[in-house]
Amino acid sequence: MSITIALAGNPNSGKTTLFNDLTGSSQYVGNWPGVTVEKKEGRLKGHKDVVIQDLPGIYSLSPYTLEEVVARSYLVKEKPDAILNIVDGTNIERNLYLTTQLIELGIPVVVAVNMMDLVRKNGDRIDTNKLGEALGCKVVEMSALKGQGSLEAAEAAIAAAQEKKQGEHPHVFTGSVEHAIAHIEESIQGRVDAQVLRWHAVKLFERDEKELQELQLAQDLKTHIEQHIADCEKELDDDAESIITNQRYAYISRVIDRAVKKKASRHALSVSDKIDRIVTNRILALPIFVVVMWAVYTIAMGGTKVSIGTMATDWTNDVLVSEWICGNLGAWMEAIGCAPWLTGLVVDGIVAGVGAVIGFVPQMLVLFFLLAILEDVGYMARIAFIMDRIFRRFGLSGKSFIPMLVATGCGVPGIMASRTIENDRDRKMTIMTTGFIPCGAKMPIIGLFAGALFGGSGWIATSAYFIGVGAVIVSGIILKKTKLFAGDPAPFVMELPAYHIPSAKNVLHATWERGWSFIKRAGTVILASSVVLWFLQGFGFVDGVFGMVEDNNTSLLASVGNVVAPVFAPLGFGTWQGAVATFTGLIAKENVVATFGVLYGFAEVAEDGAEIWTLLAGDFTALTAYSFMIFNLLCAPCFAAIGAIKREMNNAKWTWIAIGYMCGFAYVVAMIVYQLGMVFAGHFGVGTVVALLLLAGLVYLLLRKNKYQDSELRVPVRSVAAK
Amino acid sequence: MMPLTMAQPGQTVVIRKVTGKDEVRQHLAELGFVVEEAVTVISVIGGNLICKVKDSRVALNRDMACRIMI
Repeated sequence: MSITIALAGNPNSGKTTLFNDLTGSSQYVGNWPGVTVEKKEGRLKGHKDVVIQDLPGIYSLSPYTLEEVVARSYLVKEKPDAILNIVDGTNIERNLYLTTQLIELGIPVVVAVNMMDLVRKNGDRIDTNKLGEALGCKVVEMSALKGQGSLEAAEAAIAAAQEKKQGEHPHVFTGSVEHAIAHIEESIQGRVDAQVLRWHAVKLFERDEKELQELQLAQDLKTHIEQHIADCEKELDDDAESIITNQRYAYISRVIDRAVKKKASRHALSVSDKIDRIVTNRILALPIFVVVMWAVYTIAMGGTKVSIGTMATDWTNDVLVSEWICGNLGAWMEAIGCAPWLTGLVVDGIVAGVGAVIGFVPQMLVLFFLLAILEDVGYMARIAFIMDRIFRRFGLSGKSFIPMLVATGCGVPGIMASRTIENDRDRKMTIMTTGFIPCGAKMPIIGLFAGALFGGSGWIATSAYFIGVGAVIVSGIILKKTKLFAGDPAPFVMELPAYHIPSAKNVLHATWERGWSFIKRAGTVILASSVVLWFLQGFGFVDGVFGMVEDNNTSLLASVGNVVAPVFAPLGFGTWQGAVATFTGLIAKENVVATFGVLYGFAEVAEDGAEIWTLLAGDFTALTAYSFMIFNLLCAPCFAAIGAIKREMNNAKWTWIAIGYMCGFAYVVAMIVYQLGMVFAGHFGVGTVVALLLLAGLVYLLLRKNKYQDSELRVPVRSVAAK
Repeated sequence: MMPLTMAQPGQTVVIRKVTGKDEVRQHLAELGFVVEEAVTVISVIGGNLICKVKDSRVALNRDMACRIMI
């Protein structure tokens, strides 16, 4: 018979590390039904019949955050065989709050006190026997980071599950509260399982809405229960929920008094606090932040001697993909006499398309690695705090910063990083705006036009960043005033983990997890679309006969391009080449350059397309080039990123809203720039009027009063790291 | 009584009252912000603050910190 053990604990209690430790590579990652909260389960190492179910990090079982709702309904409805409750030993008082709720569920609980090595190092002592006696369940020691005691904890949970015996309920509540709860228990007896009686009674006492909905009690019974609650509230002069909270804490401090000995006084500053006094200092916080970000960016994506990421990516692009794979594979396929179309498909279609993405992988891995270190050290949570003040001004939260930072490398992991934002509205807004940030793949587009029409001016690249960041800010302000995003961003409440030395295991695991999903997702979508594009570009009707075409002006792609081209006429680039390049940009943004190369008859062009600069300068003016660049920087991101948007939105309607918004915004901005630019060149026409109207509309949307302003605070949140 | 935002970095204060909607109060309570609990302010940036409560560090923005009266 298989046993299911649920892993429950506070955020930052070391739950993820423990889960990885227990299950190794046998993990299944998905979503909890209907929500974007990650669901992880795996089989216990060495025990094929034991399933470990990871629950999201939560502070309590009150249904306020999505994570709490998910965890609670799982525990109450699915009834795992045992709960392994991981508790941070350095912060035991707050962590036991959840424990007091878990032991009411009537499921055998084993408490694993984590970070015991730190507890000992601090000179504190936790008497697990006494703790276990007081809580009525088994308590074990462990250190997830050092891999000590994890398996023992799991085995204790298995034993508890097999025994099926649940401990005596400890006397958490006292006096008139216990009295009232006992009465409620009596009145609902028989309606719920005897084991979970206490849980339901306490929830009814708290007037928990979800509970009332589910139990469907008769009106007279409700009135009877309400009477007990009201009496109790009157006696203690507090509301029911606070009464329960206070009694839980009072109970915990009685337990702690008996079982825990602390060496330092509670309010002495720890090393971590001292670091925080400097790192989050009013004056130093921003400079330190800028330096750290600069270092990360330089190492992963810069062009200096320490830029490992760039060097590895260049090597992959120039040597691995171009020379080794493309060159050798092509020669080999010709040598064995493959049909030219097959060689074309493999080399020009698949390898060139997928290779373009593979080239980014080393850079991404370096970036993920550095970010994983910052996360494991604990600095990432501080960044969100420092940036919150700034991001809040335009309707985003401080937690939006990390997705945007990652998006400067690649939008796909950037959008995926939005997962750590728990507030639904903030997360959607972040997903919608993250794509505006110029990613690594958009750099070649900028390089192409800067080189061809602006004499290689560095200002073009700089302005691209300003346009990207500007688009995020403008969109934030516009969107937060719409009905879709009504209300203030969720108040910022976040637990900060203590700073600690990063563990190699955690960092590598996080790097690999993100890197692999990037390779997988980008790889599959790009592979498919490369084949389609190659086909459209290489085949067409010549004199009514379908076949491979020499001149791609007659290709299927050109036909499609010609139909779409007029749409871009108001933006100044209504040629089929412009339309096609925009379209191929959807597959991967750097394809725009390659497409121009192919369209101008060069088999292969450098990354910045130096060969076609003169030709391009003939077709584009500085203004149309800039308008084209703006549109391509801001419009719908590549298919891989659209896929990521769809996955994170988890909703078709929202995916279309996001893509529609991005394209619409790009179109409007490019048109305003082009048409108003034309005025300086002496043209004034219908387009100018439309552009002026659009500009006025944009300014109105920016400045109008927010009629959905909601001064009441909304649902609060959990911590950023689900560790 | 005054809001927690008035406390200086390094100061340890005792919570007198937590105001606001039930759900906000409940969440703050779950994080350890309950009446009579001592809070140490670690750093303050423009009204947002990091403080230490029940052995954990919690970052709060100004809106939330204003709800905690000391």
